[in-house]
Amino acid sequence: MWYIVYVAYYMATGTASSEVFENLRMELRRGCLIVAVLAQLRCEQYGYTLRKALADDGLAIDEGTLYPLLRRLETQGLLASQWREEDKRNKRFYRLSAEGELILKQLLAEWESINASLNKILQEA
Amino acid sequence: MSKTSSRDSSSSGNSAELIDRYLQAVRFWLPKSHRQDDLMAELGEDLRCQIEDKETELGHPLDKAEMAAILKRCGSPMMVAGRIGPQRHLIGPALFPIYEFTVKMVLLWILVPVFVIIVGPVNLANSGGDWASAVLNTFGDLWSGLFIAAGIITLVFAMIERTNTHLGAEIKWDPLKLPPVRTGERKPSPLKAVCQFGFNVFGLAWLLLLPKYPVLILGPAAALLRATPLLHTFYLPFVLLSVVALLRPGIILARPQWTWFPLLSPLLQSALVLILLNYMIEALAKTPSAYPFVVLQDAVRDSPKYFKLAGIVNLSILVSIACVWFAVCISAIVQTRVFLRHVRKRTSAASGIASVGVR
Repeated sequence: MWYIVYVAYYMATGTASSEVFENLRMELRRGCLIVAVLAQLRCEQYGYTLRKALADDGLAIDEGTLYPLLRRLETQGLLASQWREEDKRNKRFYRLSAEGELILKQLLAEWESINASLNKILQEA
Repeated sequence: MSKTSSRDSSSSGNSAELIDRYLQAVRFWLPKSHRQDDLMAELGEDLRCQIEDKETELGHPLDKAEMAAILKRCGSPMMVAGRIGPQRHLIGPALFPIYEFTVKMVLLWILVPVFVIIVGPVNLANSGGDWASAVLNTFGDLWSGLFIAAGIITLVFAMIERTNTHLGAEIKWDPLKLPPVRTGERKPSPLKAVCQFGFNVFGLAWLLLLPKYPVLILGPAAALLRATPLLHTFYLPFVLLSVVALLRPGIILARPQWTWFPLLSPLLQSALVLILLNYMIEALAKTPSAYPFVVLQDAVRDSPKYFKLAGIVNLSILVSIACVWFAVCISAIVQTRVFLRHVRKRTSAASGIASVGVR
């Protein structure tokens, strides 16, 4: 009887904590993904190759997240896109705009500062 | 060789067809305004690239099951559309607190009291003695009323949201005008006392005018109804209670150092109201009449069409008395708690000072 109660409690708290971790992980990744996408688009790429490059570097991103993000960044003027034919197929190529380059530089500086602060905090602890 | 090429072409045909079917299903769930063609072309291209990569990896054209696996990994059309499409909500986070407040106010503080005090008694009076069906009808009406009201409020807020999304952000406020932090010991506010005095004077004047102008409580029905001896008996105690209530703000203003008085006096007032209501309920129990509060005027006494009106008014007064009794009971409990907390704080503060003095 107590064993069942214990298992049920463990499962409930275990599921809740993994859900909390998943939510926090997503929040942490969201900002990093923007920087990663901007950094990858210093060289012109189309959606699929960009996704593949990010996945190869350990930042897998699904289609449903990447394409709306690309739209948003383009609307904000950070990216420029162009439909072009390659291998007899129409593909949309993205690259960083001049404004995007400036913002990326600022974001990287901010990221480095956050990273340094975090390292300092962790060392103090 | 020809077999392989025919297999290749049929495979590419299959993949194109399956991808088109998938995109069509995704498009179904997307809003028309959301650049569907552009997005769909990009998503389709992504899927084709995935299939090509998989074919290169496996060294043969994909069969239907393998292609289906890729699409399955991509997610159900509805889910993909949800991720690709714009963030959609009926009422956004800026308006939601106001929406929630309005729904609560309308449903709990307007609709429910209206049904308890007005619709319920009317249904009871029209039920011809069938109380159960009257109660059921009232609950049914209340239920549909709640749904309709909630629906209308939601619709109005959704329209506001669509027309002016930034309404919540535009509300002007001044941080310097925020109310001060509440402390345990609240000083009696002179403004509050003056307002209380004003309201009590108004209430007393209304009560004193009632015998001469019953229209103030009965409205147009005053021409048809008159008060029973039971109401006359309790009229004077209620007037006295109002006079006592009138003194309360005066004492608060005259003796601001009596911090216990603004807490104890409403409790005493609630106790007096409860005693009076209990006497009234006792007297009601002893009254055999079906019309204990108001009866028809002599001129219309024999008119059967006004019996129902008299019944409804009597029932409304009865339900109102029950509601007031219930509300005063709750407020008396709350007032007792507040007063006891005040006493406990004063006692602990006094004992703290005493212990410091001993040291």
